[in-house]
Amino acid sequence: MTEQLSQFLSSLKEKAEKGQLLYIGQNITRVDGLEKVMGKPIYTADLLDRNTVYAKLIRSKVPHGTIKDIDVSLAKSVPRLLDVITWRDIPGINESASILPDRELFCSSVVRSTGDILGAVVAETYGAAVDGVDAIKVSYDPLPAVFDPIEALKPDSVKVHPGGNIAKQMKIRKGDVDRGFAASKVMIENTYRTQFQDATPMETEMGLAFPRDDGSVVVIGSMQSPHNTQAALAKILDLPLKRVRVVQASTGGAFGPKSDETPYDVCGAAAVAALKLRRPVFCSLDREESMIVHTKRHPFVIRHRTGATAEGQLTAAEVEMVSDAGAYASLGVYVLGRATFHSVGAYEIPNVKVDSYLVYTNNTYAGSLRGFGGPQAAFAMESQMEELARRLGMDPLEFRMRNMLAPGRRTATGHLMDAGCGLPQCVEAVVKSSSYWHKRELYRNQTGPVRRGLGMAFLIHGNSLGPEGNDYAVVQIEIGRDGKVSLGTGLTEYGTGAVSGIIQVAASVLGVPVGDFVLERPDTIKHGESGPTVASRTVVIGGNAAKLAAAKLRKRLDLVAADLLKVDKRDVLIVDGVAYDRHNSASNVPWSRLVEEAYRRGVKMAEEGYFMAPPSPWDAETGQGTPYLQYTWGALICEVQVDVETGRYDVTDVHAAYDVGRAVNPAGVMGQIYGGTVQGLGYATMEELVHKDGEVVNPSLGDYYIPTSMDIPKNFKAYIVEVPGTLGPFGAKVIAEPPIVLPAPAVRNAVLDATGVSVNDLPVTSEKVLMGLKRKPPE
Amino acid sequence: MNEAEQSFYVDSSDRLIDVLRDRLGLKSVKEGCGTGDCGLCAVLLNGRLVNSCLVLAAQCRGASVTTLEGLLNDPLTRKLQSKFLEHNAAQCGFCTPAMLVAAKDILTHTPRPSTGQIQAGLSGVLCRCTGYYPIIQAIKEVSEEEKERS
Amino acid sequence: MVTPSFDLYVPTDLRDALKFLESNGGHTAILARGTDLLPRIRRRLAWAPTLLDISGLDGDLRYIKRDDGIVRLGALTTVADLLETDLLGMRLEMIRKAGELFGDPQIRNVATVGGNVCSASSSEDLIPVFLALDAKVKLISSRGERVLPLEGFIMGKRETARKNFEILCEVFFEAPRGNCWSGFEKLGRRNILIVSLVSEALLLTLEDDLETIRGVKVALNRVAGKVPARAAKAEAFLSGKKLTPEVIREAQDVLASELALKGDFRASGEYRAELAKVFLKRLLLGCASRIRGG
Repeated sequence: MTEQLSQFLSSLKEKAEKGQLLYIGQNITRVDGLEKVMGKPIYTADLLDRNTVYAKLIRSKVPHGTIKDIDVSLAKSVPRLLDVITWRDIPGINESASILPDRELFCSSVVRSTGDILGAVVAETYGAAVDGVDAIKVSYDPLPAVFDPIEALKPDSVKVHPGGNIAKQMKIRKGDVDRGFAASKVMIENTYRTQFQDATPMETEMGLAFPRDDGSVVVIGSMQSPHNTQAALAKILDLPLKRVRVVQASTGGAFGPKSDETPYDVCGAAAVAALKLRRPVFCSLDREESMIVHTKRHPFVIRHRTGATAEGQLTAAEVEMVSDAGAYASLGVYVLGRATFHSVGAYEIPNVKVDSYLVYTNNTYAGSLRGFGGPQAAFAMESQMEELARRLGMDPLEFRMRNMLAPGRRTATGHLMDAGCGLPQCVEAVVKSSSYWHKRELYRNQTGPVRRGLGMAFLIHGNSLGPEGNDYAVVQIEIGRDGKVSLGTGLTEYGTGAVSGIIQVAASVLGVPVGDFVLERPDTIKHGESGPTVASRTVVIGGNAAKLAAAKLRKRLDLVAADLLKVDKRDVLIVDGVAYDRHNSASNVPWSRLVEEAYRRGVKMAEEGYFMAPPSPWDAETGQGTPYLQYTWGALICEVQVDVETGRYDVTDVHAAYDVGRAVNPAGVMGQIYGGTVQGLGYATMEELVHKDGEVVNPSLGDYYIPTSMDIPKNFKAYIVEVPGTLGPFGAKVIAEPPIVLPAPAVRNAVLDATGVSVNDLPVTSEKVLMGLKRKPPE
Repeated sequence: MNEAEQSFYVDSSDRLIDVLRDRLGLKSVKEGCGTGDCGLCAVLLNGRLVNSCLVLAAQCRGASVTTLEGLLNDPLTRKLQSKFLEHNAAQCGFCTPAMLVAAKDILTHTPRPSTGQIQAGLSGVLCRCTGYYPIIQAIKEVSEEEKERS
Repeated sequence: MVTPSFDLYVPTDLRDALKFLESNGGHTAILARGTDLLPRIRRRLAWAPTLLDISGLDGDLRYIKRDDGIVRLGALTTVADLLETDLLGMRLEMIRKAGELFGDPQIRNVATVGGNVCSASSSEDLIPVFLALDAKVKLISSRGERVLPLEGFIMGKRETARKNFEILCEVFFEAPRGNCWSGFEKLGRRNILIVSLVSEALLLTLEDDLETIRGVKVALNRVAGKVPARAAKAEAFLSGKKLTPEVIREAQDVLASELALKGDFRASGEYRAELAKVFLKRLLLGCASRIRGG
């Protein structure tokens, strides 16, 4: 046997022993990478032709009022203007909402925020459409408005909706907090406030609608869920589902708002206009419009009362959370849920009482944004842990470790943690990486105008949809006659690379390299409804569906290969697109031959995998149960350097570890960790969408700051921990959202450590640090 | 225009980005904000990195303009593209063309940039997905490999 | 396209541009590279039926010259040009610093000296720098030319003394010599900024004893109102005094009261005043240290 052959066979043996893990844990280049680095025209705005006309949305100019009149006369005289569409042009139901039916597509009588949409102007050119919008004169009878959710809770407050301002409330009742506080030596109470964050995907929202001669419509757009968009449009257009075809174009970032109502708004406006005018219509939001109209992260006001024994054991937590939904509930109903379940963080507390409220105001509205209530809850709880540690005179790390969840301990909902809880390993990784104890000593007695500080936070992140509804996905795999494997799903790719991840799963089960796969564009005409691509669920839920589809195909191929190789089907190995006799690797059949033979025999070469997660039961009265079937865990330690004369600080070092169960594509996982952390640092230090009397003051990237390449920590070490979970393929857990959660509390705590200043409202600006320093004597 | 001479009439208020995308079909140039704050429309104008949403097309008479499409045969750009793929530096891909043009600009003016110089060179192009680290790493590696070759 | 749309006049040369302005100045705005004007037009904060595109007049208007101790900057000199020239000399550190912190690379490549100055806005960092240099501006027209001190040229928020038939063609100032040094500080919520909370430029001249202040020129992006200006009271206070911690502390208080800064959604007036005070101290000490040979 030659050296080469022997090497080849031994690498083959290695791969074979990995079995189904063939391509798992490998940094395989994502399937949609090439077209991106080549600058190909794959996004919605790149797909227009000369026949396309332009629609621009007409927005409300007042935060609360009744519409007296929409005067389109001036607009109609704008050259190249084609039409103005309003609620009267909607063929079906005038609705663009999510869970609660509280929102119209085009306002018919009442406007509730300056993000509300009254209709659209359609014109031959983009410029004419913009000029047309300017020329529309809407007169309102203004109504009194409310902009503070605490105010909105008062019984005599202005009512944003007739049913009152509480859109949703939730609670947790575990144990007896009065007894718990009685048993505590130390008890502290603080109120924490978080701000509106804008998702700021680099591509804003847009939709392109084509009317078909048979009265149906095809819509291409930037979105997270073609099937949800299809359902919304079918209602708006009064068409059966099969007459509304929605295709997701390559989407330039999403982060949440593109899974809420805005795609329905722009695609709805485009489709209504397209069917009326019988022309293709492109409706897009520029950056300012996008920042005003689409959903933001909910601001929360969180009052936290927490008690601990003298030894540092948490005894009780009482939490009240009030979130500002803005004018409509959107996905806020579920954001409230996640915030509530994560309200006391990654710690075991025997007595917990939580009351949480989703409250309407006349601000522009909030909805999904990466983290989905988790960041707000973590900011409050992790800040509270820091304050408690300081009051107890304990090291913050020790205090956290004493109380943190681990196998055998229970969450706030009473869920017993098993071996799948990788929090201790995450903590160990970051403590080591950051040289925490050494740094503690080093920074013990600082003087001078520059101070350094250490801060940390621990993460619990319930996986996938949890209690939000049925958690399922469909993946279709078809092996073509040419041997190429086509994978299609209603789950969408918009940056995370997760869909490439599920291809890796399918490739591993089939035994065929990822390079032989073709990813289909999500299209309602072909792909099964897979729920929205949210909650970081693609790999966990979609991966399982892919595994099932691939396994069915593999079974059939094993039989064909067994025949061809004259072995038992259990002795068939398919590795890198070649079927081998397990005991005699010289006996093999290439993929092309295998596929050809399968076709010859009439084997069904297309398969669908459907996976639905088991239900996660919990009790709405007590909040007890298992709202999530598994959790992603994490820990982050950061260092800041503060200039105490100006309050300006830099986050110089970040050490983060996440238990992702199984990293299907480690580079992909790291990509989410880097990106999510930087987005979380933005939330921590600089991002703030400001409303004044209901108007967004800074809807521009020149006034709303997101981190640039100059704002990232100089030293960022990230670690992947793998403690397999029970839900995802090969034990995978979600990763796309979690990294955005920990930076804000960790930075806040590091600033506290460096300066003695407790900043209890986000973002932690240099002004708040300096003003805090001025109010107290320096340590 | 990308090494080929072209002439045509433009409207006074046409921006360079409008001509590039709509007239010339060069869709790699993206509009992310229209106010010069995101850099996704960045192109090379007479060899300098500029935001094409803030330049009027008429101001480009006699100038040379380069977009990513014009760099597809450039060996340095090809190396950058390859490294971007290797390091997962393109997630949603929307900032990728501008990042590649900016990277080309950095390496043209500073063949062996420090990490800080790379960060400064990219500071006018926003990315929301990657956190910038893989992009910086890809550029650094290309510059180091170029250095070894020469 | 930019909306609302406008007409564009592209002059063949400078004389042609001036001739155009003679008849059309009343409804014409001057366009250099548009980093300030074009976004404002899009946001409906500014507009004119006609724009005069002077960006092609590099031959006449884009230069950096230094002769007889006077530094002359053509109006189309870009921020990048300022960073790349050798002609400024060590003491003009404040120009370099302001340039380095100015926007981002794309903006630096096109933002012009003339555009900065004519915007008369507190978001344009070169203005405090030129004010601290006692810079003068040269305006030309078909009728001739005139020179105005920059301080007088800026009359209010986005209001200058330029007549509508004139073009600002040059900013010039005496190159600082002797026992002097300059510096610039700026801070906002992020490292890359267009609009800072406070931008401060300072030129310090010491007597030969290197302890007594011969003169301080300090300008900020906002002083008692909304425009860049010199902090005359703080300057007057410091003049002739010894540079001691006590003097600096008192000067900080004079500065703070003189600035009367207002707050907005970005920051409070109180915080801005604190920043201005800290910058004053750091710039004075930093410049002094360089003058003394540090």
